[in-house]
Parts: sequence; structure tokens; C-alpha cells
Amino acid sequence: MGNDERKRPTKKMKYGGKDDQKMKNIQNVEDYYDDADEDSRDGEGEEKRRDFTDLELKPDHGNRPLWACADGKIFLETFSPLYKQAYDFLIAIAEPVCRPESMHEYNLTPHSLYAAVSVGLETETIISVLNKLSKTKLPGEIIDFIHASTANYGKVKLVLKKNRYFIESPFPEVLKRLLSDDVINRARFTSEPYYGGDGFTIGKTSGELEAGPGELLNEAELAAAAEEKETHSFEIDPALVENVKQRCLPNALNYPMLEEYDFRNDNVNPDLDMELKPHAQPRPYQEKSLSKMFGNGRARSGIIVLPCGAGKSLVGVSAAARIKKSCLCLATNAVSVDQWAYQFKLWSTIKDDQICRFTSDSKERFRGNAGVVVTTYNMIAFGGKRSEEAEKIIEEMRNREWGLLLMDEVHVVPAHMFRKVISITKSHCKLGLTATLVREDEKITDLNFLIGPKLYEANWLDLVKGGFIANVQCAEVWCPMTKEFFAEYLKKENSKKKQALYVMNPNKFRACEFLIRFHEQQRGDKIIVFADNLFALTEYAMKLRKPMIYGATSHIERTKILEAFKTSKTVNTVFLSKVGDNSIDIPEANVIIQISSHAGSRRQEAQRLGRILRAKGKLEDRMAGGKEEYNAFFYSLVSTDTQEMYYSTKRQQFLIDQGYSFKVITSLPPPDAGSSLGYHSQEEQLSLLGKVLNAGDDMVGLEQLEEDTDGKALKTRRSMGSMSAMSGANGRVYMEYNSGRQKSGNQSKKPKDPTKRHNIFKKRYV
Amino acid sequence: MVNAIKGVFVSCDIPMTQFIVNMNNSMPPSQKFIIHVLDSTHLFVQPHVEQMIRSAISDFRDQNSYEKPTS
Repeated sequence: MGNDERKRPTKKMKYGGKDDQKMKNIQNVEDYYDDADEDSRDGEGEEKRRDFTDLELKPDHGNRPLWACADGKIFLETFSPLYKQAYDFLIAIAEPVCRPESMHEYNLTPHSLYAAVSVGLETETIISVLNKLSKTKLPGEIIDFIHASTANYGKVKLVLKKNRYFIESPFPEVLKRLLSDDVINRARFTSEPYYGGDGFTIGKTSGELEAGPGELLNEAELAAAAEEKETHSFEIDPALVENVKQRCLPNALNYPMLEEYDFRNDNVNPDLDMELKPHAQPRPYQEKSLSKMFGNGRARSGIIVLPCGAGKSLVGVSAAARIKKSCLCLATNAVSVDQWAYQFKLWSTIKDDQICRFTSDSKERFRGNAGVVVTTYNMIAFGGKRSEEAEKIIEEMRNREWGLLLMDEVHVVPAHMFRKVISITKSHCKLGLTATLVREDEKITDLNFLIGPKLYEANWLDLVKGGFIANVQCAEVWCPMTKEFFAEYLKKENSKKKQALYVMNPNKFRACEFLIRFHEQQRGDKIIVFADNLFALTEYAMKLRKPMIYGATSHIERTKILEAFKTSKTVNTVFLSKVGDNSIDIPEANVIIQISSHAGSRRQEAQRLGRILRAKGKLEDRMAGGKEEYNAFFYSLVSTDTQEMYYSTKRQQFLIDQGYSFKVITSLPPPDAGSSLGYHSQEEQLSLLGKVLNAGDDMVGLEQLEEDTDGKALKTRRSMGSMSAMSGANGRVYMEYNSGRQKSGNQSKKPKDPTKRHNIFKKRYV
Repeated sequence: MVNAIKGVFVSCDIPMTQFIVNMNNSMPPSQKFIIHVLDSTHLFVQPHVEQMIRSAISDFRDQNSYEKPTS
């Protein structure tokens, strides 16, 4: 089920908005399925599964908002009066596949149902609400599927109370089954005598306080949910928690445990005195995401997905303020560490000495027994030698119990790094924040088990309509290759320079110059130009005389350029390489021009769009029907007939799934622009071509950033060499070492026996 | 004395002309098919290569267009 979510062919997706308009007319729906079948390249069996003509329509189907199909797909009409309620419910139980303006597509997967159960929905509730909303009778397959997927999920909870781990379940028979397993039985805490029979502690938990689907339940169900529930629990040995968790995974006992943190009753860990400031008012969707996290008065682990610029940090700070325990906040780089620290101070009443940053530049330590530490993933997971000071801080982190582990941009961090971070830090509750839950290596599902299920995902278009994020006009500008450049592009011997050739296409340059001029002069906009290709970045920036920032730009220079961009009226355009993709906060910019990109990375596209999503201008102008229809612009310049076309379409998929549509512009720059733009004459173009061809292969390639795994972000200070080269250890020290041991041949390659080391050096290498 | 050669008149945009020219250049001399490059958008070629040019261009275009994976 999980893997068939990408079945609709591209062309349909790209202009999804239009197609869905047609579907407003319900009679057309059948036709729609027909052509979906024609287009799809699946086998015949697949076609039969997709034929839903025999589904029974309910008599009042007009009032119901969604279609549930036997293969787990759900289609939601966004123009239905019940849309809001239905959306809240669907986002909890299903994975959004594609969300254009009028019609959303969702997919029921085991993971999404796991998430549903973990936020407190029960199997019967899911089925009955789904049935109520569906235009047709629920197909038996769906009901079976929901039963099968949720049967074991959420039956068992792992609760940390007063620093003791309990396994809790409303079903004593499930606990008995767990205890019949050897590993778990051994882990059971033996201080309480085992009575043979039901030796479970019986406690009460208050029912779900969630408003979500409640409106859709009938009163009897609501009353039942509000009633206090009896739970059974037994305690397990903290040292064996990891083993028990593993035994419960689907490949063993198949009772995946939900992790909850009863922070109100935790009086072992010291409280942190912090409140949200009164001016911090969470927006409705931020409230909703928090309510999913704190649904029953306890904190759940999970991931919250909000678009860039929609206020993820406020959600993070609110969660920390709600739990009021020590909080470890992880960000991707030093710049965003500073931003997080700033956000904490901005939104909450936390005192300056309770918050500290831990990066390679600033190693602060907080006083008192509770506080917030902001650091980077690299600092925690770093495997090598640390300075003595850093080692002390890390040791302190290891020994501390954290109330909340707050993880920013969870999508960028490789799974093994997560495991390391999670194993080093003991935390009661983990909250992951991200804008784009896609990875090109499809490792997103790992996060489900490492952090927790997805708790909430906002709909981008709804936020645009509400005026919370900017309304962006996305456009793909098609620039034809010039004759000479294309001739070179086709030559086999230039295969390594292909990228440089299509990026440096003079027509592209002219289009870029035209757009910069148009937005600077006509609209007074602030523009960011992105180029992954360093050669192109420098050429463009030099020719147009604009400032640029790339990997090797020093921190001081960066700050200077960004400051000028923010305040000066004369600096309206800045050129950025990959380093600007994540987390550099440039709230002033509202136009992005992308001249080259990292192959087909959907995430990079979304992250770059995120740079301009922060809403600007007055709220009433932005709302639907306001003065300006669009207040931000995203241009992607593409050289036609080259590989770039392939990448460009691929990159757009994520945004198209979020409901954005890309307008194709073919006539830029206008033919009458003539020599006012650069590279008009053929001589100029040919000299540019010569330059590209003469540049070395290494020059025209992509910028390589350190630790560039899946486009991971920058650190503030970037050096091109290795650690040892920078410290001078590479050359001279190695030589000396060699000369002293000439006679012993290749022994130098073997690691030295630490016991034979001189006393002075022993300390350094332990 | 007037010489008449039978051929196909090809009209396309600038990059595609370059594509066909490049194709022609990569052939061994005996199989070169362009009779005359008229200007940057028009070519005159041997009559039998029409199908080959079409399929080569469609392959090239397929390589450059992204199809959302269907499974």
C-alpha cells in the first residue's frame, strides 16, 4: 500500500489544479478514473483494482466530502462545507500525496495509521468517522486494512514516570502476552513481587482532551472518550528499556510501543521556570499541532511538519514552555543555533543565564539545575577528539535527563547520526520539526521509529489563504540554448562541462538580468539569485556587479553583505551558492531566481522557496481578495533541450504535490531588449563560450561543501582542507615523524601503541 | 548542366539543427546524410534518414523529460 502513492502520471500532476477543477462536477469523476487508467502503465490487475464503478453511492453523497477507494486512496473535495473537519481527521490518519486547490489525494498506509493511533484515535473511531465522511459505502478492503494495521499499534505505551519506566496498556491480556516473552519478562522490575496472575498496577488516565474528530462523533462516543480509562502497567528495568523496545517492534512481537512523558507528575527532574510571553500568540495551526502533541496531558514524541516561514520555532518554544523541564535543542548549523537561542529569548520568559549555546565557537554552560541548551547535531555526534572544555559539557549532557529533545530540520540528518544523538542523550520526549519530509534516499520512514510518528502536517495552500505565509508565484523560465553553446553541449568530449554549458547559456544570463532589472526597478523587490555552480555564480555576479556569498566567504564578509542587503537601498540583489539553502534567515527577500541547482533534489527546491515564504506586507493585502494576488516570486531558469529540463521537472514534484503550480514563461527576455542586456553580440557570446571551455573541469563542477551528505547545510566557518591540514598536522609533523623512523620502513602507517607514547602525549590520545 | 538531388527539407529550431548536425558529424564519412545546411533553422538531407532523425530526436527528448515514477 505504502509504495503506490506515486501512480498518477506527471502531466496530470503538473497541471493538477486544472484537472481538479473539472472534478468539481461529480459526474465527471468516473471519466476521470477512466483516463487515469489509460495513462497508467500498470498491469491489467492494477486496472481492475482501480475500477470503482461498483461502489455503492450513499443517497446523500452530495453532503459528504470524500471518496474512499479500496486501494487505500482517499480523495477529499476541498470545497465541501465539511472540509475543515474532514481535513483535520484525514491528516491524522492518512499520508497526503497531492494537495492542489480543489481536490486532495491521501493514502492510507500502515505508518499513517500508526500515527493516528498514537495521537489517540481508536480503530473503531477511525472506521466510523471515515464511513460518515465517505460518499460511498466503505469498501471491505479498507476496513480490513485499518483493522489489520491498527490491531497492535498503540496497545502498549512506554511511560516515564518519576524516572521509572512503565509499560502501560488498557488491555491486560496484551501485557500478559508481552510478559510471556523471555526478554521482557527478565526486564520486568522485580521489586514488586510477581503474583502469577494479573500482577498489574491499575491506574487511571484521563481521557483524550482532543477537539479534532470529536465534533464528528456522536454524543455517546464523546462521553465514552471523556470517561476515565483504566490502565494496567508494570515497571521495567531502565537499563533494559532499549531491549524491550526492540522486542516490541513489528519484526518481533509486533506491539510497537508509544512513548509518552508524564511531565506534570515528574518531580524528580527540576522544573525550568519559563512561560510564553503574552505577545507570543500561536496561530490556529500552531495550536493544533501542539494539541496533537499534548493531547492527553502528557507529551508525545513525534514530528511536526510546517512550511518554512510558518513559525516552526514558536511551536518548538511553546512545547518547551509547556513541558517546563530542561530542553536540548538541536539545529543544523551555528547560524541557526544563534537564531534558536534568539527565538527562545524572544518568545519566552527564560532568563539569559538559563539558556546557552554550545558550538565550536561558543561553549557556554548554564548555571542552575535546569536550562535550555542549543547546539548542533555535529557537536553531539562528533566522534573524534574534543577539547577538554567541550568534553566536560558533553559529559554533562550525557548525565542529564532531558525533558524535551527538540530537533530542527530533522529531514537533513542521516539516520546513523540520529541513533548516535539519541543514544547519547537521555530524553523523555522527542519533537522533530521540519518543512519538507522528503529525502531523495527514501530514508524518511526511519524517522518514524527513531523519533515517532508524524503528529501534524499543515496544508500549504490553507496557510497561504489565511495569509500566514506569502503567496508565491512560481515560474519556470525556458531559455533556448544558443547555437554555439548547444553545439558544444552535444559534443561527447564536453560531457563533464555539460552543466557549465547550460548554466552559462547567454540566453539564460539575459533572462536573469532582465528579471533582476524588472524587479529592482519596477517593484522595488529584494532578490536572491541561487547558483550551485561556482563558476556560474562568480561569472554572473561579476558581470552584473552584485555581491555574492559562497562557501569560502568569511563569516565577517557574509554578515556585512547580508546586513547591507537588509538595510541598504542600493543593494537589492545578492548571489548565493548552496550555502544559502537552509536556515540563512533573509526575511526581506521576496524574489528568488534560480540559475542552477543540485540535480533533481526536491528538497532543495522546497527549502529555497522557503526563503521567501515568510509573509510580508499588511495582512489584509495578503488575504484572499486583497490588493496583491502574489507578493513573492520564484523563478527557475531552465535551458531547454538539456538535462536541466529533466531535473527541473523532478525538483518541482514536491511543491506541485503541495498544490503549487508552475507557470511556464518562454518569451524572456523580450525580443526588443536588444543590447541593453549583456551578451547581446555574437562576439561576446563566443568569448564567454571560450571561457567556459577553457576553464578546468574542477572549476566548472558543483561546489563541494564539507560533510555534504544529502545536501546537508553549512557551518559558519568553512575551510576547504581536512582537519589535520588546517591545524598544520598534515605536512610538517608527519614529515618529522617519518624522518625519525626512516629505518623502520612502513611501520609509520601502523597506529602507534598508546602505552609506548611519551607521557606528555598520552593524555592527548586516550 | 543542372544537377537534381532528391532529398528531404528539414525545418526546426536552432538547437535541433545543431543536434542533427552533431549527429551527422558523428557518422562515418560514407553515412553522412546532410546535403546542405541552408541556414540556422533549415537543412536539406538525404531522403532515407527522416525516420532515423525523428527517432533520435524523440530519444533525446525522452532523456530530458522527467516522468513521475509509477510504482
